[in-house]
Amino acid sequence: MKKLRVLIIDDERNAREEIKLLLKSYPDIEIIGEAKNADDAKEQIEIKKPDLLFLDIQMPEKTGFDLLESLDNVPQVIFTTAYDQYAVKAFEVSAIDYLMKPIREERFAKAMEQLKVKSTKEKDDRIFVKDRQQYHFISWNKVHLIESMDNYARLFFDDKNVFLKTSLNLLEQKLDEVLFFRVNRAQIINLNYIDKIIPLPGGKLKVLLKTGDAIEASDRQSVKLKKLVKT
Amino acid sequence: MNPKINISLYWKCQLIGWSVAALYWEYRGFTLSTHFSWLLAALQFISDVVIYVLLTHAYRNFALKHNFQNLNLGNLLKRIIPGAVVMGFAYTLATTVKLYLFQLWFFQSPVQPYAAFFKQNAEAIFIGGTRLMSIWLLAYHMYHYAQREIRTSRENARLAIITREAQLSNLSAQLNPHFLFNSLNNIKALVIDNPKSARRAIDLLSDLLRTSLYNGEVMQISLQDEINLVKDYLELEKLRFEERLQFDIKVDDSLDAMQIPRLSIQTLVENAIKHGIAKRKDGGVITICAAKTGGLVKITVQNPGILKAGDDGVGLKNLRERLALEYKGRATFDITGELHDIVLATISIPSA
Repeated sequence: MKKLRVLIIDDERNAREEIKLLLKSYPDIEIIGEAKNADDAKEQIEIKKPDLLFLDIQMPEKTGFDLLESLDNVPQVIFTTAYDQYAVKAFEVSAIDYLMKPIREERFAKAMEQLKVKSTKEKDDRIFVKDRQQYHFISWNKVHLIESMDNYARLFFDDKNVFLKTSLNLLEQKLDEVLFFRVNRAQIINLNYIDKIIPLPGGKLKVLLKTGDAIEASDRQSVKLKKLVKT
Repeated sequence: MNPKINISLYWKCQLIGWSVAALYWEYRGFTLSTHFSWLLAALQFISDVVIYVLLTHAYRNFALKHNFQNLNLGNLLKRIIPGAVVMGFAYTLATTVKLYLFQLWFFQSPVQPYAAFFKQNAEAIFIGGTRLMSIWLLAYHMYHYAQREIRTSRENARLAIITREAQLSNLSAQLNPHFLFNSLNNIKALVIDNPKSARRAIDLLSDLLRTSLYNGEVMQISLQDEINLVKDYLELEKLRFEERLQFDIKVDDSLDAMQIPRLSIQTLVENAIKHGIAKRKDGGVITICAAKTGGLVKITVQNPGILKAGDDGVGLKNLRERLALEYKGRATFDITGELHDIVLATISIPSA
């Protein structure tokens, strides 16, 4: 079986040692590195692409949350913290788990158990977004519509939406083109969510999403969309 | 428009009190006397009120000037008793002169020399006057004494509440969950890595817990004891932050025995770590100094960091309050952002 590749992030060396010690009894885990601050961690994540982060929240200059927000693709996360106040926040973000330092072995075992359950499911590309004081992990699979709003992109998923500080053009480049299609200047749709495509007089197309949204494609993009749907 | 004139309680009492007394004298005088004149009655009334208000007001100015209001009860009585006699004498003098003049103007009765008139009436007037003045003096001083007592007990109650708050917040600061759990986690790792350090850390943490749990009643401790506590705290934190935390303590030996508010330096050092060292990747140096300059002892805690303007945390707010109350405004606390990302906290306490 392929080993789970783990990065440990904490500003205190002894706290990292603790996690390493706890991980010793898990042979299917491979520790690929350690980071002592958010910048250090970001660099390692982008190069080594770990599957799982053990992430301390309170770190110098940038917090664990800041780190996650800065990532284009967020691995699985287990938060570790000595603070209680962040526990609630961590729940909201639906991380795999949060562990309170010092960490009891049986509690650690439970977190690892949950990890197995989650990681057997298909791995999604996802991002971490802070919006109106709430943190969200958002899988791209679940985003059905993206709209441009001034300097922001508004992501619609489930029955929620969040604002991401990026232009639609920049975002389009990063997105998986198998999944997403730019229908017009201001909107991107998730192709998996298309319910019906209705031709309009004049050659343009109107896209109905499974969520009930109706979106009109531009002239140029209608042509492209026709080709895309045929294939 | 009806401009409201604000008359102080003192003047209200003076005017009403002496008016009532003057009316009473008029009533007595005219029921005993055979003839009545409105002019005489009015003059009597006005002169009585004016003379006695002036007399007692002069006393009040004297008492204020000589700080009678801050005396304790014993010393106050030592001044009130002779004061009543002197005032009684002044009353006698003023009253006999007034009565003599009135007699001269209104009754044209056979003119008796003033000395004889004085001799004849002085004793009775002196006894009545002394009694009257005693009442005035007692009322005046007792009122202010009671006010002072109320103020003092209020202040004491406030001090007690603030001290209690300081204890509570220090307790929660010392037992600051973040600090406590991080320390425990750290010790847990050290047990395997470095058992000797782990044992040392448990000793330090125990002492810190003991201080915060059991010494809550103590308001002041010696500078030396406070510095020792701070050293323990720093040593423990150094096990966590390792090379990121450096410190330097420069305390003038002659100040060792000086009393300072308990946990005052500790509060500043804790802040220095929380907002300075912990927020910087490379940490930095905390410098603690205590030195005498002029009549003041200056205790400073310096750390790298950027001062966020405007909001003191609970710890600093409490420290300010405690200094203000314990030293009645003669101690100061300042925290300033200096050049090159340095934050400097200064406590100045009078050295004697």
